[in-house]
Formats: sequence, C-alpha cells, structure tokens
Amino acid sequence: MVEFFLQSPDLVIFLVLLTLGYAAGSLAEKRHYRSIEKRERELVRLAVVTAEGSFPPGRVRQAFLVSGSTVVSIDYFKRLLAILRNIFGGRVKAYESLVDRARREAILRMKAEAHQRGAGMILNLRLETATIGRNANRKKQVGSVEAIAYGTAVVFNK
Amino acid sequence: MKFTPRLPDENVNVSKTHPLAELAWLLGGLLLLCLLVFGGLGLAVDLTVDHLPPRVEGWLGDYARRQFPAREAAPLQRRLDALTAVLPPDSPLRGRIFRVRLSSDPQVNAVALPGNTIVIFSGLLDEVTSENELSMVLAHELGHFAHRDHLRQLGRGLVITAVAALLFGERSGVTELASDLFLTWQASYSRRQEAAADAYALELLVACYGQAAGATDLFVRLAAKKGPRPSRLLASHPYPEKRIEVLRQLIEQRGYPVAERIPLGDDLRRLLAKEVGKE
Repeated sequence: MVEFFLQSPDLVIFLVLLTLGYAAGSLAEKRHYRSIEKRERELVRLAVVTAEGSFPPGRVRQAFLVSGSTVVSIDYFKRLLAILRNIFGGRVKAYESLVDRARREAILRMKAEAHQRGAGMILNLRLETATIGRNANRKKQVGSVEAIAYGTAVVFNK
Repeated sequence: MKFTPRLPDENVNVSKTHPLAELAWLLGGLLLLCLLVFGGLGLAVDLTVDHLPPRVEGWLGDYARRQFPAREAAPLQRRLDALTAVLPPDSPLRGRIFRVRLSSDPQVNAVALPGNTIVIFSGLLDEVTSENELSMVLAHELGHFAHRDHLRQLGRGLVITAVAALLFGERSGVTELASDLFLTWQASYSRRQEAAADAYALELLVACYGQAAGATDLFVRLAAKKGPRPSRLLASHPYPEKRIEVLRQLIEQRGYPVAERIPLGDDLRRLLAKEVGKE
C-alpha cells in the first residue's frame, strides 16, 4: 500500500491538495459567513431597494453612486466537485456558496460606503457578476467569481 | 408601505447538502459508470473474440512474438505436428498451421500466443521426462487455441488498458499501472478454461498414443515440488491438485488404457543437452 503511494507521486500530490483544499476552503467559508452575518445585522437598518423611488421635493439632501465589489476564489476540492458535476449534470452546489458569498459581500461593502457617508437608503440596486479566469475547470487555471453591487445612495433632510 | 428592517430566516441560495456527501455521491456515480463501461466492454470482447478476423490475430501474433524471443526447434515441431495430425476431422483447428518455438527462459512454463504459436520455455523442457508428458503440454496449449482462451484473456486486458488510456491519457501513471497489471501474456486462466483445455488435451493424447499415460505426470511433480519459489506454470495455469483429480476421474470414466510411458527421443535429448547443458 505504502509502496503504491510512493510509486505514484501524482496521486499523493492530488490527495494532499484535495485535503488541503477541503480544510482551508471550509474554514475560510465558515469564517466569511460569520463575518457576513455579523455585518448584515449591524447594517440591517440601512434599506436597500431595487426600485427607483421618488420623493417629495426638498426631502432628499444629497444622492450619489455607491458601489462595492469582491472576488472569491474556488478551492481544489470545490473544483473537483464541479468537474464531477460536469459529467453528470445538475446543480453545481459547490459553487453556489461562492456566488452567494460574493454577492452578499459586495452588497455589504456598498452599504458600508453608504453608511459611512451618512446615507439613509440605497435605491436602484444593481448586481453584476463576472468570472475571472475563464476556464476555471481547466488545469493550471484559477477560477474565481467577481460580484459588483452598485446603487444610488440618498441622504435625507432631517 | 412600512419598511421593517429584518434579515431573512434562512439562506435559500445555497444548498444544504454537505460537500463530502456530494463528493461521495459523485464518486459513487463515477465508479458505477466505470463498472458499466468495464462490464459492457468485457462482454463485447467475449462476443468479438469468436469473430476476430485472422488478419487482426496475425497482427497480435507479430506483437506477441516480439514479447517472447524464441527460436524454431525441429524436435518440438515434430511432436506438435504428430498431435495436429490426429485432430478430429471436425476440429476448428484443422487446416491451421501451428508453430512451436523454444525460449531460453529458465521458467517452467508454456504459453499459447495469438497467431497459432506455442512458446515452450527451456525450464519446462528440463522438467519433462517422457514423450507423453511433452505431448500433454502441447495438447493442452492446443486446447486453449481450440477454445480461443488465449485471445479471450488478452482481450480483457486490452479493454482495461483502453479504458484507462481513455480516462487518464496514454502516458499517465494509471494507464501504465493498468497495462502492467492487466495486459499480460501469461495471465491466469480460469478454472473452467483450464479444465476444458485439459479434457481436450487428454482426448488428443489418447488419439495420438492410444493410451493416457503421462497425462498428469508434470502436474503431480510440480505440485509436490511446491517450494519457496512457486513455478510460473502453476501461476498461469492454477489449481493443480483439482486438475489432477479431474484428469484421473476422466481417464477412469472413459476407460482409457494406461500403459508404459515412452522415454524422450534422442533428438529431444540432444536439444535438451544443448539448451540446459545436461543429459
């Protein structure tokens, strides 16, 4: 058994990367979600809507663009799951949490900027995603997802 | 409409499945897929072995002869020709020209190769003590030809190697491992294949000599000699005790006479002396 592993260094490297990818990836994801949930609770009072909104004259003191963006990378383990998914089809569950984290983090960064500048509300929220590293499932390619959130922050007159 | 700031109770955008559970499912599916492909191709080979064109078998034979460097040996060829001369008229082997070659390899073994070639290793020649014994070995290999076992066995190995090459690439370690493990010219025959070849050989032996002496001699001797280094013949032709038993039963059932063994002819003795340096 040991001899078999010694004779196939490729397999050993693969297994090490897989274990490392799973351990590090899970840890990073857990920490990120804890941080996201904490900041979401803190900023829950700042309303974000996708509607355009219209206000009576004199109600709005200032309006400006706010944006937040984030890039989240896949890990070795998630990539293996996605490659296997490519054989059978179906939901790529391994990537769902990546996109979810990227979107929520982007919105949070946007909200943080708006909050810092004293906005009471963000209107017209738009979300966009982009992939960085086009062939994420190919060898020697790092796949990651970028999410960008932008909207119009409004500061109301007291 | 009043705005009530609150967070959603649960995240609907991420599946609840544990990643390791998903991995187990996907790997299980992949394994099932491999097994299906493996089984399906194995079945296809079993079917096509019976219809393999002579041209393809010829090509395989050329390839096989390169794996087993051996030379012609007239005394052995004479024994084989004597056996093929008494083949039953309806035998599938009728009309095919069989060649026997001698390899200087000291292992105690004989192999049936594609392209109607039998290779006898000098180690086996050294063990043989009578004409009858040698004929039994040759007839046994002829039995494998008659049942096309030599192709069947090779076909499975080829399928596994082909599947590995498709999945992992031709130069990968996995493919090398698969071909090392499975694409072997001396893989074990199954118990059923061995029993069938034995029965075939016994019939041919009786047809040639009119009696069944020497049918079990070589195996009795090799089975008794089980030392620290088991013979290659037993490795590729397993179950010796069982086979001796079955052969004895067959001889008894069919009432084959058992008379004297014929000692090795002078031409074979000379060949042996030249080959292994002993009289």
